[in-house]
Amino acid sequence: MSATDAHRDFVERLDRHRGILQKVSSAYCRDAASREDLRQEIVVQLWRSYRRFDERGRFSTWMYRIALNTAISCARGRNRQDARVALAEPAILESMPAPTGEPQDERIERIYKLVNGLDELNRALMLLYLDDYSHAEIAAILGISSSNVATKIGRIKERIRRDVVAGLAR
Amino acid sequence: MELDELKAIWQNNEAHFERTLQLNAELIEERRLRESGRHLRRLTAGITLEAVFNLVAVLAIASFAADHVREPRFFVPALLLAAYAIAIFAANVRQIVDLRSIDFAEPVVGVARRLETLRLRRIRTTLATLLFAPLMWAPLAIVAARGFFGIDLYAVADPRWLTANGLFGLAVIPAAIFVARRFGQRLRESSLGRALADEIAGRSLAAARDDLAAIGRFAEDG
Repeated sequence: MSATDAHRDFVERLDRHRGILQKVSSAYCRDAASREDLRQEIVVQLWRSYRRFDERGRFSTWMYRIALNTAISCARGRNRQDARVALAEPAILESMPAPTGEPQDERIERIYKLVNGLDELNRALMLLYLDDYSHAEIAAILGISSSNVATKIGRIKERIRRDVVAGLAR
Repeated sequence: MELDELKAIWQNNEAHFERTLQLNAELIEERRLRESGRHLRRLTAGITLEAVFNLVAVLAIASFAADHVREPRFFVPALLLAAYAIAIFAANVRQIVDLRSIDFAEPVVGVARRLETLRLRRIRTTLATLLFAPLMWAPLAIVAARGFFGIDLYAVADPRWLTANGLFGLAVIPAAIFVARRFGQRLRESSLGRALADEIAGRSLAAARDDLAAIGRFAEDG
């Protein structure tokens, strides 16, 4: 495959799975500028690693792994200056307003609130769980055992139950 | 509401996630992608610059030491300075190797652990550099005066002045730790000052150790 073909192939795949960029950036960044900055950083990392992408695997799984690694790395090293720099550069990926007549689902906001309340690694686990990855796939992406994944999901479920009960009691 | 219900809502909104993001295909040119990527590139560039600076220092001090190998009063301070610069240079090289070996396509927990280990090493290097710097003042003054201006500091300065400088360097270390611990948290206005104080006081080191331990617990749990 020539470099031009590889690049075209990459852009097509990226476009098909751009929802992952939206989910990961929204889970790891609070403001729009940081989200945009993170999405661009993820795209750059994806392209750098694309030559080594194993075609036998799922692109979305590989993309999730790189996106989460970039998000966690940026979340730990981010400072205010980075966000200011991002505003001065053209955006590879632009946030679009929700189409007219489609109200922003409050329940999605609620899920983001829940996800944002977790630490960086549990946040990664939660995103993969919500996207219907199996325990084995989550374990492979994160680099932990399947039983560990099951334990953590069980704990998150328990926490949600407690939050709901606490909310009803208020 | 149960987690499984949240999952169903999330998946029903898949189209929404995609509709709210548009790819600017013309901006994803190959050249632009190659040149972008600030986060780790900036860190690598910073450490490389430090390494180059330290290498130049090592070479300059080694050259001075070679010229004064038969004069212990110049050779010994130069040797101390060289050991200091070599130690920092070696730490820089190790950090660059660590950073270059990180592959973002590897499992998330492994990458998080490597990044946190790198942070821990950077903090330790900065801490050692800052704390030993006052001790290096007297040897630096002796070597710099001789090397740059041809002045023999032993001849022009009172030996008590040199001794006092050495003792001052020793006293600065506990004093700096005390000040950083006592007043560091008040430096809210200056992020650099706060970061420096946190490193000297050992707070950054403790935080990095805690984060590394948290990653370990996440990996071993269950």
